[in-house]
Amino acid sequence: MFNQMVNHTMSPDRLNVTFAALADPTRRAILARLASGEASVTELAEPFQMSMPAISKHLKVLQRAGLIARGREAQWRPCRLEAGPLQDVADWVERYRRFWDESFDRLDEYLQELQRKEKNHGRKNK
Amino acid sequence: MAARTNNPTKKPADRALIITRVFDAPRERLFNAWIDPKQMARWWGPHGFTNPVCELDARPGGAIRIHMRGPDGTVYPMTGVYQEIREPERLVFTNAALDEQGKPLFEVLNTVTFTEQSGKTTLTLQARVIKKTAEAAPYLAGMEAGWTQSLERLESHLANV
Repeated sequence: MFNQMVNHTMSPDRLNVTFAALADPTRRAILARLASGEASVTELAEPFQMSMPAISKHLKVLQRAGLIARGREAQWRPCRLEAGPLQDVADWVERYRRFWDESFDRLDEYLQELQRKEKNHGRKNK
Repeated sequence: MAARTNNPTKKPADRALIITRVFDAPRERLFNAWIDPKQMARWWGPHGFTNPVCELDARPGGAIRIHMRGPDGTVYPMTGVYQEIREPERLVFTNAALDEQGKPLFEVLNTVTFTEQSGKTTLTLQARVIKKTAEAAPYLAGMEAGWTQSLERLESHLANV
């Protein structure tokens, strides 16, 4: 059923890569930082007790997932957030939510119907 | 948005999507509607959908197989596995999103809890993506996907961009 939820969007593989990139708390924190503007690797590394190579590794994963882009300036190649993949994740979540919302509407109707039947039959199912 | 976390190595809250709904029914009845295939077939899926196939083997490790048919006749197959069944309060199951060839794309872990108060039942569904597929890039190996509030904050930020 959930193929319905993915085939309107980008390739599912890419969505998958995005999910995996988002699975790490450090990477999410990096994205959160970038949501408020461009930053250099040094700036990004600041809040973490992590070596620069470790941060660079995270940045590479984010970059491969298309979640960030890096400037070309040789000195400080600033990182910035790329909204596309995150939007795809948000879209998928939204579709999944809608799936359940509508299913729950129907479940509610079904339960009400059960209750009506029960009343008509003198509560014999109780 | 200031979503900088103080402790970035903290384990994620594993929250993806949480939906809560209150039903005017005792929780036993609600729970049954989740494990009895005849009942599930009546409500599973968006408005206008039917479920010509609905097989539920409601025990830990038991399979879920549902073919959902849309208003235009398109059939969407879905498979899943029950992880935990604690009647009538908790149900954990996975389901897979399938591609056009029926290959699983990624897996979602759904945790459903039922709490009753004065004859009404609050149902909470928590869903998170747990698995990549064989197609996913090798560097994803061993990683568990999931995302947390910080992502939700990001999303709301993006909505305002």
